[in-house]
Amino acid sequence: MTDTTPDRPQRRPRQEQITPDTAGEKAIGPYPPTEEMLAEPVPEELRRAQENRLREVWKEPQGWRYISAVNNSEVGKWYSLTAFGFMLLAGVLALVMRVQLAVPGAEVLDADRYNQFFTMHGSAMMFLFAVPMFEAISILILPAFLGARDMPFPRLSAYGFWCFVIGGVFVMGSLLFDAAPSSGWFMYPPLSTKQGGIGADIWLLGLSFIEVASIAAAVELIVGVLKCRPPGMRVNLMPLYAWYVLVVGGMILFAFPPLIAGDLLFELERGFDWPFFDPDRGGDPMLWQHLFWIFGHPEVYIIFLPSIAIAAMVVPTAARRPIVGYSWIVLSAVGTGFLSFGLWVHHMFATGLPSISLGFFSAASEAVVIPTGIQLFAFVATLMVGKVRMNLPMLWIAGALAIFTAGGLTGIMVALAPFDWQVHDTYFIVAHLHYTLFGGMVLPVIGGVYYFYPFFTKKKMSDRLGRWSFWLTFTGFNITFLPMHLTGLYGMPRRVYTYPGGLGWEPLNMLSTLGAFVLAAGILVFAWDLLRPKGRQPLTERNPWGGGTLEWSHEVPEEKWGVRSIPHITSRYPLWDQPKLVERMDAGRYYLPDSDEGHRETLVTSVIDARPLQILRVTGPAWITMWAAAFTGGAFIFPTFSMYTPAIVCAAFAIVCVCYWLWTSTALIPARERKDAGLGLSLPTYVAGPQAVGWWGMWITMLGDATAFASLVFGVFFYWTAGSDFPPENALHADWRYVLLACALMLTAWAGMLLGRTRNRKGESGAAPILIGAALAAACGIAALIAAVIEMSPTSHVYPAMMCALVVWCVAHIGGGIIMLAYCAAALIFGRATPTHDAPLWNVSLYWHFMAAMVVTVTLCLAILPRLV
Amino acid sequence: MAEKGQLSREFAEEQSSLWRIAFAPTVWAVHFVACYATAAVACAKFPEAELAHVGVWRVAISAGTLVALALIAWIGWRAWRHWDYLDDHDYSHGRDDNESRHEFLGHAGFLLAVVSFIGVLATWLPAFLIEGCT
Amino acid sequence: MTSATGRRFLCLAAVLLVAGCEGGPQSALAPAGRDASDLARLFWIMLAGAVVLWIALNGLFLFVTRIRPGALSRGWAEGIIIGGGIALPLVVLTALLVYALPLMPAQRAPGDGLTVRVTGEQWWWRVEYRPEGAEDWVTSANEIRLPVGQRTEIELTSGEVIHSFWIPALGGKTDMFPGRTTRMTLLPEEAGIFRGQCAEFCGLSHALMALNAVALEPAEFEAWLAAEAGPATLPRGEGAALFAREGCGACHSVRGTDWAGQVGPDLTHFGSRTSLAAGTLPLTREALVGWIADPGAVKPGAEMPSYGHMTTDELATLSDWLMGLQ
Repeated sequence: MTDTTPDRPQRRPRQEQITPDTAGEKAIGPYPPTEEMLAEPVPEELRRAQENRLREVWKEPQGWRYISAVNNSEVGKWYSLTAFGFMLLAGVLALVMRVQLAVPGAEVLDADRYNQFFTMHGSAMMFLFAVPMFEAISILILPAFLGARDMPFPRLSAYGFWCFVIGGVFVMGSLLFDAAPSSGWFMYPPLSTKQGGIGADIWLLGLSFIEVASIAAAVELIVGVLKCRPPGMRVNLMPLYAWYVLVVGGMILFAFPPLIAGDLLFELERGFDWPFFDPDRGGDPMLWQHLFWIFGHPEVYIIFLPSIAIAAMVVPTAARRPIVGYSWIVLSAVGTGFLSFGLWVHHMFATGLPSISLGFFSAASEAVVIPTGIQLFAFVATLMVGKVRMNLPMLWIAGALAIFTAGGLTGIMVALAPFDWQVHDTYFIVAHLHYTLFGGMVLPVIGGVYYFYPFFTKKKMSDRLGRWSFWLTFTGFNITFLPMHLTGLYGMPRRVYTYPGGLGWEPLNMLSTLGAFVLAAGILVFAWDLLRPKGRQPLTERNPWGGGTLEWSHEVPEEKWGVRSIPHITSRYPLWDQPKLVERMDAGRYYLPDSDEGHRETLVTSVIDARPLQILRVTGPAWITMWAAAFTGGAFIFPTFSMYTPAIVCAAFAIVCVCYWLWTSTALIPARERKDAGLGLSLPTYVAGPQAVGWWGMWITMLGDATAFASLVFGVFFYWTAGSDFPPENALHADWRYVLLACALMLTAWAGMLLGRTRNRKGESGAAPILIGAALAAACGIAALIAAVIEMSPTSHVYPAMMCALVVWCVAHIGGGIIMLAYCAAALIFGRATPTHDAPLWNVSLYWHFMAAMVVTVTLCLAILPRLV
Repeated sequence: MAEKGQLSREFAEEQSSLWRIAFAPTVWAVHFVACYATAAVACAKFPEAELAHVGVWRVAISAGTLVALALIAWIGWRAWRHWDYLDDHDYSHGRDDNESRHEFLGHAGFLLAVVSFIGVLATWLPAFLIEGCT
Repeated sequence: MTSATGRRFLCLAAVLLVAGCEGGPQSALAPAGRDASDLARLFWIMLAGAVVLWIALNGLFLFVTRIRPGALSRGWAEGIIIGGGIALPLVVLTALLVYALPLMPAQRAPGDGLTVRVTGEQWWWRVEYRPEGAEDWVTSANEIRLPVGQRTEIELTSGEVIHSFWIPALGGKTDMFPGRTTRMTLLPEEAGIFRGQCAEFCGLSHALMALNAVALEPAEFEAWLAAEAGPATLPRGEGAALFAREGCGACHSVRGTDWAGQVGPDLTHFGSRTSLAAGTLPLTREALVGWIADPGAVKPGAEMPSYGHMTTDELATLSDWLMGLQ
């Protein structure tokens, strides 16, 4: 199917020739390819030989070794099925709660178990389903949208997945031992800090662990979008899904770290009695609420945007024309990403903050309607100008729109602080949030599964079952949640395990319970359709819906290599606008048609215009990622039971595993400096510094890390504004001499890192000893920093506690920096890095730039600011 | 990447231009945080402030708003020139050339400036409508 | 569908159809106070707008996907994005903000004189009254009485964990924090008994932390407060001895006696209240006997120990005596 728009004349850019003398790490050869070059046929014999080699390289491990696979198609599949499994479990919890609430005074669940259930329902839906589902689906389909062979860091995806499985099973498993967290998914202290048992610790550590996995996935996805696009896919031609992934990945980087910082403070209070949230010792439970909701509100959009992204792929296919208002949708994605960070206090409208402060957040909460509205109207506009074919995925999208708009409109209501004073923490909110999440996430994702299922498995799901599932889900949902608006207005609060009769709530609750079972039936029909064996069913055609984007170019039956050759793209809908594209891809006419060295490879391109830059060797199947995940799991899970020694041992082993993994498989010095990428283009195989994917991965990770650190600094500022005794009078401050000494030593280490890198680049000797010296200076810096606060007693008051928390953070990071310095020194000594192959040194010096900024900030907070107040 | 042989240096691959579309929302974010922090500090540290004090920080917020609006307007104006709509009335930017990419980033930047402008005005509205810290 | 559920369904349909459906004594849609009626009005206005907008948007979607005569022009489509995505929300939201934001300071306007301090405990309410100009607080518990037609200052704090104070028929809610005082004000406009409930999850028996708000005509309120401020009038009977024997006074106060415990609710005028165990049980002798015998059975996690070792007669006697504390 084709659709050509009249306002899009095809203009060919002039080709440039890059000559070897200007090359260096650059591409040599003609780019972009001309029509003549592309029209030249590939000899049949060569083609078959290439196919065989590629098939061999991308083959999955067989038998029980299958689980060591790291391919995005496998990891993505496991990831999404696991997340779906957790969703079903969390849904069962909801059903049991609905049974308990069907009539007043029921005794199906006792108070404690009900509290565990609602806590786990919320936590699992958020942390084990909604966010991981985005990551899973993106890992699964993003490389295909981008015509890439795989994600840039396949082992990182696998590591993230195994972390997720271990953490998820640990957290959900606690339900079986009646030990699950029971203070709500928001874990407000002091209720949660004062609570006995290990429930709160399970929540904190288990979910922190999963947050780490989420950040890993975000890093991977952002780098994937920025650096692994096919040649020619400039930023203005990216599929909208990729834009959303970019925005959502960025949001994860800025939203999750505050929660991780909060978790650190929380666990320091629970484990070591540092009084961050204890008002008797200067602490303040409001800090947790701020940190939690700075995470919690963007989280809602982190869930919502990727699902809208799915809709942005389904709608043009249904309308059979390109999306209208591409720039508008990019605006709305980026705009929503930003504005969603200005909404967090709307979860805290009832906390008695000044009206003016609430007003800011009311206004921002209303302003976010504008980008969201633009988004929806762009879809409507696309459907208006197209010739719509209502397929099954589109039915789910339409249902999602009906539900989401209702949730959005109640969102406008609750964003007004005074109205929220009535409905906050009532069933009105329960209704509102389920309307936004079902309409904004569950229904579009199911629609997306129907849409992409032929791509995942080369089989189709049942149209009939799909319609049954839709109508059951849709009606069940509305029967369940529409009455809840009224239940809330009639005064029923959330999170109550029982309620008295006579308040007008009985018929509404009974109705909700009945609806919940209809809804569950709809989800079950979907689950059956998804999982039922389809062995005898015929394979689908290659592009069953007539889509225009690259994922529909994948071969039927499935080939593990992703794309046979990486195409040169000149349109947003290449399958519609580039007539011979698929044929030429299959023939291996485009880039990277071969794997002559037997390595898994993908193409790295430039950020803005997607010019080919490098042939990146990507990692293959491995067990080390599983070991790393298992030990990381140990490091998070043992502290739950206050077993700190095994935790430290596990953390050490996790570090060893990660070092081994990096040492053996990343930034390997290639046998050949350049390789032929096809179409006469010769590309470097090793790139260091700001053009390398590893460097981007480090940069993005450190942005997230810096956000977590900023959250701790925000904590210092918060305590200063919120209380009159921060710092308390006559408080013992950190010893400023030691702090300044520590600062000087750590900055010396930073300078040493830079000096070492520069000397190595120039081919001068002595780089390794300089790096070792830098590591020693950093180690002395750690000692000095600890000496500065050793006299302070963090359990006595929140001021010393906060100062010590900054030191803990700083020491852990400098410790990481020392390990990295040692790694670089070892790489130089053992020839894993050379003057021309110095990627690790660039990445580690980037890390140390962040360390330098952190150390200076810590010095200010520790030694200087408290003396000025 | 060599930029030699390009039709126009203006359309050269802009390393910074992806960041540039985020400038206007960043101004919104800074303005938002500044308003919130000003109000929080004013209400927490000067709770018994006389109306004069209250007036002072509301004026400060309004002044900050003007600065933010001016900045966003300037960013928007630059993005508008970048987009260069009146040149060819192109608003779909779907072509595979440097100009299309360049104008797309200008277009997106312009639209984000519009939304950020509205966002800043919305943030200012409470400071206009609500007096005092109650 | 069974006939019982069928009837329930019909009931609900009827409830939903009848305009102005108000709900029970804990309903925000049956306002009896100035703030609640302002917010109820705001709700009805927004609901009307929301219904119109929902129908318009989904109608448009239905139109373009199902009933449309032919493809529309691109200019129209772009106009839809600007009109629907920017212009419409801009107008609607600005109007809403201008109307609703000034409600906030109005709802927190200073009180007319009387201050009521409510402290959230797990899971009951410590309530203290201080009329204008008075020095001392009058202590009570688990029920709040307010004069009609006057704005009362409500000072909120908490003992251990966060709670939230909420009487839907009178106004919105405000959280109660340990170590921090928050405030709100309420202006009842009708006399009556309205139910309120803790709205912030506060642990095991969060569901069972309610209270009645009794709005009284000003004169009646003055009389009640004067009586409430006085010491208890101890009823005759064995109850007092049982109360002493079981050590109840270690936790509970009865003003005018030596029993001055501060851990549990004040019992000075216990018998005059409208509910038992923080809005969980009716104040009847039978309920009180059950409560004293095993508080944990009624309210999981309650700190009050079980007095199941007392004989039935003793429990009855003690209950009668407590009910007599008018």
